[in-house]
Amino acid sequence: MSAATLIAREEWRVLARNRAGLIAGALFVLLILVASFTSLDWRSAIEADRARYQASVDESFDAQPDRHPHRMVHYGQFVFRPIAPLAFFDAGVDSFTGNTVFLEGHRQNSANFAEARQSSLLLRFGQLTPAFVLQTLAPLLIIFLAFASVGREKERATLKLMLAQGFSGRSLIAGKLLGHGAIALGVGLPAFAVLIAFAATGAAGWASVALMILGYAAWLILWAALGVIVSALAARPRDALAILIGLWMIVVILLPRALPEAASAQSELATKIETEIALHRDLLEIGDSHDPDDPYFNDFRKQVLTRYGVETVEDLPVQYAGLVSIEGERLTTQIYADAADRQIASESEQNAFVHAFSVVSPLIAIRQVSMALAGSDPAAHYDFLDQAETFRYDFVQRLNRMQAELLPGIEGDDPRIPSAYWQDIPRFAYDAPDPLERPRSLVWPFAVLLGWLVALGGLAFVAVRRIGRSAR
Amino acid sequence: MTKAASSIWTAELRLLLRSGRNLLALILLFMLSGAAVWAGIAEIEHQRATIERVEAEQIRDLATVEEANAGPEGDAGYNAYYAFMLTQDPPPPLAFAAIGQRDLQPYVLRVRALGLQAQLYDSETYNPELALPGVFDWAFVLIYLLPLVVIALGHDLVTGERETGRLRLLLSLPGSGLWRRRIGLRYGAVLAALGLPLIAGGIVMAAPASGIAVMLGAAALYCAFWFGLAMLIGASLRTSATAAAAMIGCWIVLTLILPTLANAAIARSVPVAKGIDLTLAQREIVHRGWDVPKAQTFERFFVNHPEWRGKEEFEGRFHWKWYYAMHQVGDEAGAADVKDYRASLAEREDFTRMLGLVLPGVGTMTVLHRIADTDIAGQLAYQDSIAAYHERLRRFYYPYLFDERSFTRTDFAQIPRYETRRATGTLDAASLIALGILALLLLVAGRARMARIGARRRS
Repeated sequence: MSAATLIAREEWRVLARNRAGLIAGALFVLLILVASFTSLDWRSAIEADRARYQASVDESFDAQPDRHPHRMVHYGQFVFRPIAPLAFFDAGVDSFTGNTVFLEGHRQNSANFAEARQSSLLLRFGQLTPAFVLQTLAPLLIIFLAFASVGREKERATLKLMLAQGFSGRSLIAGKLLGHGAIALGVGLPAFAVLIAFAATGAAGWASVALMILGYAAWLILWAALGVIVSALAARPRDALAILIGLWMIVVILLPRALPEAASAQSELATKIETEIALHRDLLEIGDSHDPDDPYFNDFRKQVLTRYGVETVEDLPVQYAGLVSIEGERLTTQIYADAADRQIASESEQNAFVHAFSVVSPLIAIRQVSMALAGSDPAAHYDFLDQAETFRYDFVQRLNRMQAELLPGIEGDDPRIPSAYWQDIPRFAYDAPDPLERPRSLVWPFAVLLGWLVALGGLAFVAVRRIGRSAR
Repeated sequence: MTKAASSIWTAELRLLLRSGRNLLALILLFMLSGAAVWAGIAEIEHQRATIERVEAEQIRDLATVEEANAGPEGDAGYNAYYAFMLTQDPPPPLAFAAIGQRDLQPYVLRVRALGLQAQLYDSETYNPELALPGVFDWAFVLIYLLPLVVIALGHDLVTGERETGRLRLLLSLPGSGLWRRRIGLRYGAVLAALGLPLIAGGIVMAAPASGIAVMLGAAALYCAFWFGLAMLIGASLRTSATAAAAMIGCWIVLTLILPTLANAAIARSVPVAKGIDLTLAQREIVHRGWDVPKAQTFERFFVNHPEWRGKEEFEGRFHWKWYYAMHQVGDEAGAADVKDYRASLAEREDFTRMLGLVLPGVGTMTVLHRIADTDIAGQLAYQDSIAAYHERLRRFYYPYLFDERSFTRTDFAQIPRYETRRATGTLDAASLIALGILALLLLVAGRARMARIGARRRS
């Protein structure tokens, strides 16, 4: 057995006698379990709700009576974002984004009814998920177990004794790191077990779960290493504790809140109102289909007449107004898509500003890893919006084509097409994105966590030298 | 104050500030409080600038609508369809200290004379990832960070003296009030470091002094609670390290664990899906309106608008008066759902308030955001004012529609405009009193504990 493992085992023996530490550890395990079960329950309630709503709106769409297709364009479809399976582990921004969008012709509506807008301010204290416990509370537990690891030996003068017995400073620090690294992994163990059990049921992919565990393992070990090193460098265990809690406060509580303020000052997000007004202006600039002298739509009419080889609109085999709707939808959609891209780009720019500071606050890195793998990050939300928009364009254009092609064959001043056609309109089928297909969003935060571990390794050498000097 | 007494205080103050840790903690608190007030003001200025920007855009947009739809031949129906009217909810004067929900809730919203329920819950843009960790404002510094400073300054009042071996000497000294002086001094210093930036911010933002006073009052009680806890724990435990650990444990439980647990419980027991229900129901009714006889829609409309009875006839398949009546009927049919929805929101608020009666952090949060008018109640009040305005707006159009009057530019100028609601910030006395009782309980218990040390030593 090497000297380092001996020291690690001795450390475990000492900690096993620490009653407060054991109680805190037991409470922590309890908290992880409570968080896991309430969060699983929360997620499945949301999943059931959204599935139920989706089924009921789909049913009512099919049940609509004979109508003019344009009425159905504005009856529209509601789509609900299915919640990702691992969102129980990390709810991410799910509570802060609207989870339902009303899709209709020539309008892009906002995603509404975000949970955070309907909750009291209590939600801003945080959402009780395993991720919250691991990100916010686990570091504190690790600190409490590790702050005295080396300082205790110094204070009781057992350090000099150990060095005299032939233990090197290096093996002392290595042993403490080993001991507390293992404890940190132990702290993560209940949560990891929940993740593995969840993956075993087939509800989540093994690759995501493995990377999630890897990320949190790095995060927890990082705090254990920080605890041991600060303990070795600080004059007294008390000082080490104060420094570590101060660091925790800055890294976990303060920076994640303060940085967004700075980020939102960096770049301005246009309000929905401004975007809509600008869109309206852009559309008018292209052309006004109601204006008989409008150059854009006159050209369009000429093209249509040439394509069908007829002289007048009345001779067309299809309804001209339907063709105009198709063209109009194409134009508006393009403008809306550009605006949505701009919006996402400026939000991403703000987020990138915050992410850059993960070098200072690794919490931001682990949060990114965790949200992305859980499928509850903004990218997953944007992906939902994108799929909903693609779907919207498709079903609106199908209805517009029905108007153009079917209406000329229908008599009367209130032309309607049979309701059976509504069932031909496809339903929204959400294809959940695989976070591993966007590896770039994971590489940087993993690199930051790794960088922290390497930097702490360097600091450990400084601590070893200090210990060696104190022996002389 | 006599010269001797004042010199004792100065001596104690010097003692307090000579400790690097205490001085650092106080300076840090002062700087964080200042930074939070500054960030809060920046956020408020940002919201004001946004409102101004939107207002300017809105004027241009309305001019286009007027150009296209108002005139000798103008049709009020088209005009009401295309004229989106702006409502705005400028930040209340105290919002800079407690931003609350204002980062998520829209403070500009456009409505037109169509069904209100399909417009009222639209979101404005915000960046969800930035909103996730919560806002950095003065309320945050008070609720989360002040307790840590109190812990730094107060955990070793007794144990520190014991560890340096001065306790016996101190207790044997004649005269009383040593602990009162020390704790009072620390209390005052913490409150000053936290409160001075707030007062400065209040002056800059021209906030009402009474509101600032309520906020400071809540802070004073919350701070007293933590000093009470420091006395209780500090006098009960043997060493400074265990006292600090116990206090941090209390802080974790009170500000991190219990509120999140309670939030999960509230979200579970009070579902708010009614918002979606009412939107869906409103859509069904409005669209069914196209398929049911128009007379039926008018009949339902006349229940609450009898003045237009007899003017419903029109030729052809479409008339705007029918279209707007149909939208109004849709809103009225969903009224029960709206009530349920709002009741569920109010219920969540009530649960939170009740929790605040026992959890000082939550109670402080409730008091601060209620007086600042930045909680859900404030948002609901804004929605109410939009609903009232929407009613004025559609009633303005009805005479043009039912009496077939043309809509001229003069009429366009008459379109009612939204008037900014009066802030509804109130003093939540019950929560403040509960906070006071909690603080008092802890102070009394802490004092009793402290007195026991003295007694034990002297006997």
